[in-house]
Amino acid sequence: MIYQKMTIPPRSEHLWRYTPWPRIHPSSIDKVPDVDGVIFSLSEQHEMESVAHSTVAHDDIARAFLQSAGGSHNRLVVSEESEPIHIDARASGHIAVGHLHLDVKASGVVLIHLTGEPEWVGIHITGKIHPNTQLSFGFVNELGSNTKFLRCEDWIVERDAELEHATLSIGGFRCKSDLRTTLNGTGSTIRQSVTANAVGSRHDDEHVEIHHLHGHTNSDLVMNSACSGNSHFIATGLLTIAEGANKTDASQVFRNLLLSERARAEAIPELEVLADDVSAAHGAATAPVDQNQMHYLMSRGLSPDESKSLIVSGFLLNAFSNLSNKYLTQEMQTRLTVHLECELKR
Amino acid sequence: MGERMVDEILRVENLHVSVEGTPILNGVNLIINRGEIHAVMGRNGAGKSTLANVVMGHPAYEITEGSIFYKGQPLEDLEVFERARAGMFLSFQYPASIPGVQVGSFLKKSVASVRDEPPKGRAFRKELTAAMEQLSMDKSFLSRYVNDGFSGGEKKRLEILQMLLLQPHLALLDETDSGLDIDALRIVAQGINEVAVNSGCLIITHYQRLLDLVKPDFVHAMIDGVIIKTGGPELALRLEDKGYDWLDVAA
Repeated sequence: MIYQKMTIPPRSEHLWRYTPWPRIHPSSIDKVPDVDGVIFSLSEQHEMESVAHSTVAHDDIARAFLQSAGGSHNRLVVSEESEPIHIDARASGHIAVGHLHLDVKASGVVLIHLTGEPEWVGIHITGKIHPNTQLSFGFVNELGSNTKFLRCEDWIVERDAELEHATLSIGGFRCKSDLRTTLNGTGSTIRQSVTANAVGSRHDDEHVEIHHLHGHTNSDLVMNSACSGNSHFIATGLLTIAEGANKTDASQVFRNLLLSERARAEAIPELEVLADDVSAAHGAATAPVDQNQMHYLMSRGLSPDESKSLIVSGFLLNAFSNLSNKYLTQEMQTRLTVHLECELKR
Repeated sequence: MGERMVDEILRVENLHVSVEGTPILNGVNLIINRGEIHAVMGRNGAGKSTLANVVMGHPAYEITEGSIFYKGQPLEDLEVFERARAGMFLSFQYPASIPGVQVGSFLKKSVASVRDEPPKGRAFRKELTAAMEQLSMDKSFLSRYVNDGFSGGEKKRLEILQMLLLQPHLALLDETDSGLDIDALRIVAQGINEVAVNSGCLIITHYQRLLDLVKPDFVHAMIDGVIIKTGGPELALRLEDKGYDWLDVAA
């Protein structure tokens, strides 16, 4: 559907409750502004091809908007097992949009590091994990502190394929992510983790959908956020298990750590289960720093500030502990540690 | 007199403590000198763990009367971390788990804080390896998260490992023997004996079996928040044999 003809989604919709479309749109909502393309750069041994503007029709307003806006369009084919692929995504200009498709035909690791300081950035990533292959995917949002950011992702995981998906959200002023994965074949698996450090007045809305269409599929989602200052973090999840998708194993855990009185956090996992023989679990917790943990660390000589900072960094790092790829885990943890050390020095 | 003050590690005078308005300790008196091992025994809820926690400065406990002195200085104004840096150590009955924080990095930070200087790389690794070998701990412990998913025995070993590295002047051991099999108990006892030579040591326990391996100089029986009887190692044997009912009359 063409963006301009779409109805603005009401706040009663789960997806738009906390960050309504007008709040994340870059200008007045009836307009599609001129945009620059996000530049995706790879290490020398890998190649990415520029592709034509996608013509796929989208029902979702964010995806339709990104399609109408244009920007850069790239495709990366992972066709043979190789060294981890690092993609430097650089956003510049006033408004920047980028589209990237990953066609994963051989197992590998892909890491995207998004930087830049435009007023608005939009990214749409799509990916297909072919049967019996494995992708470990990391996304680091390290945009400038005044940037609004819209991110959409759509993944299809085929039979016996596996997607490990890690997000580190530490940049941008107002962020809205809508990450969707379809487990499209028996034996397909996703392990997903999101870590967000919400500081200052940051608003970070992370929505994750996982759709189990077949039986014997597995999903494991962990979302951890630390919220300080006036920040607001929102974690919403939608887990669906289709009729007949028996022997599915799915879990979602959302945890928020509140570090100031004015910080806010929402954690709303949702389940729609239409199959009979499944294991589906979800949990959500929002709490301040555990006083027993503080006491334990202080009883070992760490000052209150050192103790709190160690607990917060451990809490955020722990979101990645459900990943099995050591390289991806290490990379994400290192990026987070560096970020937290820089935060401490500010 | 001056020399005596140096030897005195802990003095508890008429200590009354409440938690959320409920009195737990009702006038505890205790003096621990350097090189002495004291054991406190008592029923569940007698106030043994409260004594250890309040000495370490847990904020949940309110001192309503009495005083605690460490090396002759009042403790009231010292924060928990300042007590640790001054050489006090509490081995917790239920140590907190800190997910995401690796044991190795935590130990380094703790040692740096207590010694007031960052530990030197190679020398510290050597010291750590020796302590871990002594406690029969595998090196893989260092990359695990602090107490996260640890068995009861693993938690207690990590507590004793920290004690060996921090070399406290006052060691408070709250039911360190619980959850340990006999081999682990022997290893842990060896660690306690090593530290106890130069420190004051307060062992809270329900069982004689630890006291077979760590010989106490004094055994205290606590009932309803008061030390009701003090004796030598024979008191522990009597308590194990007869229980606490015979002390109730005295209480």
